[in-house]
Amino acid sequence: MIEFTEEQKLIKQSVSEFAQRKIAPIALEMEKNKEIPQDVIKGMAELGLLACTADPAYGGSGLNAVTAGVIAEELAKGDCTGSTCVFYLVQAAWGFLLNKYGTEEAKKEIFPKATAGDWFLGIATTESGGGTDVVGGKTNIKKDGDFFIVNGEKMYISGVREAATNGGGHITIAHQTLELGSRGMTVFYLPLTAKGITPTYIDDLGREGISCGGFSIDNVKIPKHYIVGEENKGFYIIHEGYEYARALIAVICAAAGLKSLENGMNYVKERNVFGKPLAKFQEINFRLAEHYTKLEMLKRLGYEALRAIDLEQEGKGNRFETSKIVAMSKMFASDWACEAINDVIQWQGAFGYSRECPDQAAWRAVRSFSLAEGTREVMKMIVSRELLGKELISYK
Amino acid sequence: MRFLVCVKQVPESNDLKIDPNINKVLKKGVSTIINFFDQFALEEAIKIRKEGDEIIAISMGDSETKSTLMRCLALGADKGILLNDENFLESDTFGTSNILAAAIKKIGDYDIIFCGNSTLDTGSGQVGPEIAEILDLPQATYTESIENVEIGKIKIKVQTDEGYSIIESMLPLVIAGIPPSYYQPNIPPLPKIIAAQKKPFEVWNAEDIKGDKSKFGSAGSLIKIIKLYKPPKREQGIVITDEPKAAIEKLMELLNKDKVI
Repeated sequence: MIEFTEEQKLIKQSVSEFAQRKIAPIALEMEKNKEIPQDVIKGMAELGLLACTADPAYGGSGLNAVTAGVIAEELAKGDCTGSTCVFYLVQAAWGFLLNKYGTEEAKKEIFPKATAGDWFLGIATTESGGGTDVVGGKTNIKKDGDFFIVNGEKMYISGVREAATNGGGHITIAHQTLELGSRGMTVFYLPLTAKGITPTYIDDLGREGISCGGFSIDNVKIPKHYIVGEENKGFYIIHEGYEYARALIAVICAAAGLKSLENGMNYVKERNVFGKPLAKFQEINFRLAEHYTKLEMLKRLGYEALRAIDLEQEGKGNRFETSKIVAMSKMFASDWACEAINDVIQWQGAFGYSRECPDQAAWRAVRSFSLAEGTREVMKMIVSRELLGKELISYK
Repeated sequence: MRFLVCVKQVPESNDLKIDPNINKVLKKGVSTIINFFDQFALEEAIKIRKEGDEIIAISMGDSETKSTLMRCLALGADKGILLNDENFLESDTFGTSNILAAAIKKIGDYDIIFCGNSTLDTGSGQVGPEIAEILDLPQATYTESIENVEIGKIKIKVQTDEGYSIIESMLPLVIAGIPPSYYQPNIPPLPKIIAAQKKPFEVWNAEDIKGDKSKFGSAGSLIKIIKLYKPPKREQGIVITDEPKAAIEKLMELLNKDKVI
C-alpha cells in the first residue's frame, strides 16, 4: 500500500472529520432533497477541497493525484449516496485538465469561483447519440473572430442544475474540423448560464444529491480564452481528464464498498439467528473475506493508478502505461463494490431493502461508476490494446 | 506574549488490544488523534493571540507524535516541539510533567501554559497541575474560557460544582482547559495543512532539556502498573416496558432476586 506523507495523513484526517461530522448525518436527506446543502458545499470550499488540483495562484490547493485520492476516499466513507463524491471528483479531475491546458484568463476567471463553491465545474462529453464513442458526437464548434460558436447538445451530465442555477460550466469537446475526425476536435469550457443553453433534467437511480441532465446548445458564443489546449487537438488531451477521474472512481468504489462491509460486519456480529450471531455462518464470513480482499486490492490499485498519473506529470511515467493501469483500476471497481454492497443489503434482510438503509443508497451510487467517465467495456478495450497492440483492437 | 500549549496524542478508538505480558496497550496500527481537550486549549490560545504573540505546541512522544504537532501548526500554532528520547519512555503523569516542565524551562520566557484538563485515554487530569507545582506557578483548572488577558494578568471563567466562577490571576499561569458542551474542534483546512509543513519544528531529547533525569521515564514515575485489562463486556440489560405500576413491581422483583436490596 502506498505510504502517505505526513501532509496527506493530516489531509485525510481533516476530510474524514468533515465527512463524518457534516455529511454522514445528512446523506440520505441530501437524496430526498435532491441537493447538496449550501453549507456543505461552502464547508468543502473552506476546507480547500473544491477544484483542489488547481494551482494555489488561482485559489486551488495545488494537490497531486494521490492526495486527491485521499480526499475522495474519505468523502466516500462519509457519503453513502455518493453525491458529494461526484461533486468533488469531477472538479478535481477536470480542474486538473483546465489547470494544465487552460488559458491564464480562463483559469483566473473560473477557478476562484469554483474553489469558493460559488460555481460548479464539471465534464460534459456524452451526447444522447453516444458517450463512449466521443468522436461520434454531433456537437460542433466554429471559430468566429475572437469568439467561437457552439451548436449541439449534451446528455447524462452531472451538475447541470448546479451550473445552470448558480453559475459555472463544463469542460466539453466538439468537432471543429469534422472531416478530420478525432484530429479535428477541440476541448473548451462551456458556461451553462450562457445565452443559447437550455437545460433539461433527468432522475438518476442514485447520487441524487447532485443533478443529472442535459442541455441543448444553440449558437452559444464563447470567448477564445475558453479554449482548453490547442484547437483541433482536444482528443489527445481529454483522456488525461478521464483517466484522472477513473482512478479517483476506483478509490471511491473501494472506499464505499469497504464502508458498507463495515456496516455489514457490525450488523452480523449483533444479529442472532437460530441462537447464534449471523457472523458465525460460513456463508456470511466467507463472503465477507472475499469482498474485503477484492476491495482492498481495488483500493491499492486505485492508488497505484493515481501515483502513475503523478509520475507521468513529473515526467517520470509513460502515457500508455498510465492508461493501462488506470483502466485496470476502474475495470471492475463498480462491479466489485456493487457485489459487496449487494451482500450487505442481503445480510440485513428487510431493513436492507428499505430507504432507511444507507447501503441501498451506496449500491445505487456505485452502480453508476461502471458507466461514468468511461464504461467497464472501454476499460477492457484499453487494457487489451496495451497488451495486444493497436492493430488488434476490436473496434477497428 | 508567548503561549505554550502542551498536547498529547491519544488513540482514536476505545477498542484497544492489551498485551497482558507487559501490561501495555498495543499501539501498532492504531490510529491516533490529538487529545480533544488539548485541541480546545490550543484554540483558546489562538483566540486570544494578538499580532506579535507566539504560540508553541509541545508534545512528548515518539516519531508518530509529530503528526499531532503538525495538526497544531495547521490549526495556528507558530512552532512545534517534540520531546523524544528513550529516557522518556514509561513515564507516568509525574514523569511526563517533569519532562514538560524541563522543556518549558528551556524555552524560558512565557506568559501562559495551556493544557487540556485531562486526556481521553488515561483521564488523570494531573499533568497541568503538576507542571504548575514543579514550576511554582499559579494554576486554573476546569477553565472554560478566557475573559480578558493583558500583560501580566488574566481573567478566566472556570467551571465549578455550582456553575461558574470568574477568577483573576497574575501571569505567568498554567491553565487546564475544559470545553463547553457545545464545543466542536476546528478542522484544519488544506491550505493551512500545506503551509504548516514549512513552520519551525524541533525535536528535543533528554540532553537538550537537561533537567533531572532521575525524574524522567520509569525512574521518575511514582505509579507502577501492576495489571492492565479491559473490563468484561457488560451483558445486555433488561428493559422494562410495562406501565409504571407493573414496571415498579417487576423492578423490585429483579432487585430482590439479585439481592441488590
